[in-house]
Amino acid sequence: MSNIKYIQNLLETKQLSCVELTRKYLDAIEKENKQLNAYVKVTDQEALRTAEQVDEKISGGEKLRPLEGIPMSLKDNIVTKDIETTCCSRILKGYVPIYDATVWDVLKKQNAVLLGKTNMDEFAMGSSCETSCFGGALNPHDTKHVAGGSSGGAASSVSGNIAVYGLGSDTGGSVRQPASFCGLVGFKPTYGAVSRYGLVAYASSLDQVGPIASNVEDAAIIYDSIAIYDSKDATSQGARTSSADKLNNSIKGMRIGIAREYFEGINGDVQKSIERAIKVYEDLGAEIIYFDLPQIKYVLPVYYIIACAEASSNLGRYDGIRYGYRTESYADIDDMICRTRSEGFGEEVKKRIMLGTYVLSAGYYDAYYKKAQKLRGSIVKAFRDVFKSCDLMLAPTVPTTAFELNFTSGDPVETYLTDICTVSANIAGLPALSIPCGFDSKGLPVGMQLIGNSFEDCKVLNAAYQYEQQMKEKIYKKSERGVRI
Amino acid sequence: MVTSEDIVKIAKLAKLRVEDEEIEQLVGDMSEIISFADTINNAVEDSEEEFDDIVGIANAFHEDTIVESFDRDEILKNRDGGENGMFVIKKHLR
Repeated sequence: MSNIKYIQNLLETKQLSCVELTRKYLDAIEKENKQLNAYVKVTDQEALRTAEQVDEKISGGEKLRPLEGIPMSLKDNIVTKDIETTCCSRILKGYVPIYDATVWDVLKKQNAVLLGKTNMDEFAMGSSCETSCFGGALNPHDTKHVAGGSSGGAASSVSGNIAVYGLGSDTGGSVRQPASFCGLVGFKPTYGAVSRYGLVAYASSLDQVGPIASNVEDAAIIYDSIAIYDSKDATSQGARTSSADKLNNSIKGMRIGIAREYFEGINGDVQKSIERAIKVYEDLGAEIIYFDLPQIKYVLPVYYIIACAEASSNLGRYDGIRYGYRTESYADIDDMICRTRSEGFGEEVKKRIMLGTYVLSAGYYDAYYKKAQKLRGSIVKAFRDVFKSCDLMLAPTVPTTAFELNFTSGDPVETYLTDICTVSANIAGLPALSIPCGFDSKGLPVGMQLIGNSFEDCKVLNAAYQYEQQMKEKIYKKSERGVRI
Repeated sequence: MVTSEDIVKIAKLAKLRVEDEEIEQLVGDMSEIISFADTINNAVEDSEEEFDDIVGIANAFHEDTIVESFDRDEILKNRDGGENGMFVIKKHLR
């Protein structure tokens, strides 16, 4: 079922050359991207150059490395040397990095074929991709609906068959939610498993890079390549063990915990799909354990306080002096910086910077930031206690299916509430994966989430794979768009 | 409740310009968001300690050795090469 292995077999047996394969994807992007808006930059020359190198290697009889020759996409907050990286913000338009992110460096050395940089909510702040300065990415299942956010472009590219896989980033659900909306597998590794060097920082204690793929085995193959120790990231640890070789482990006897709070207020179709998935796990021999986790009540405000506080600090670097957008006329340096930032950032980014600045400011620091950090400790402890009696947790990824375009009525908090199921894993640094588990009455995909204990990423992938093997075509709907191989 | 004075003060700290006509909307939006954040006041935390253990590692130091860094010309690339090895902005007018 692995697309990566299937495609590499075609390449190694010379049924298709890498250049031919890459041209198919580039032609498909040319056709589909006008509508989907998944890509904000297409790197056709770079892609074809890499494809030629792969073909030379195959002609020489060399074996391909795990991700070699596979056409893929990168979210536009992962820096790429000599390739514009904007975070879909006006303030970084024209910024050309002088270095590669470690995750991209690792893949580049494997001759991954970079098709382009994908659309995202500006600086990863959003849940619909609509805060992007380039406009949002659309959902290939139904283009009247969003692809999700903030890694909407990555999800749209894979779901629309204009990339085999994509790398996104996940701070509060930004890999898992778009994967859920687009009927894909999205994996957020344990915090520290994948290097953040070269991932443009939003909230440094929450950010992680993760794969978006069309099946679990591909997600595991990608994870095994990118989850390595990196001395350039002081929070890096790499993976404790490989994952792709453990997918076939039996999950009989696995204890799967379900916190009732994740099911409050969820859409009826989502509820039904998750209940069916729970039954599948029971049939596979897992033990289902229901419990209450009252700390979940506080995960959203804790997340938004901490994330925005960190963002207000991280985004302080954008001042127009060294790169990116700079305002045209100004009275003095302070005026230059303020005008640059106000003209360069979008409304949602400015709001989150303001919130972060507020909760860190004198008079409010103790009541908000310090309190949120203490509560974070309580939440982490609560999850560690859960994993003393459970191997995994199961929950919906999102309370709904994909939002309609422009669904937020102007209520600033309305979208934040939809992150209720995903932010816990970021707060506690836990591995978490979204896999499709059904469809709603409109045919839009429903996502189920598996959350594991710290550095037990392989257990999460294993459990997801076993479910996928049981369900196969029942949970995936292949799009008519893009490249059909 | 967030006031317009708060908005002006926070914008100044955050190096953002807020026009007069934007303040009312921002007061409304920020008040809603802060009310949402205020729900943490109902929580009782387990300990007085601030949380500091997401990674499980501390003091990830490296040896203090000199290694190659980026060439200055490369760093100046995003500003058309700068001038005499420096970033250039318009002369301070005050």
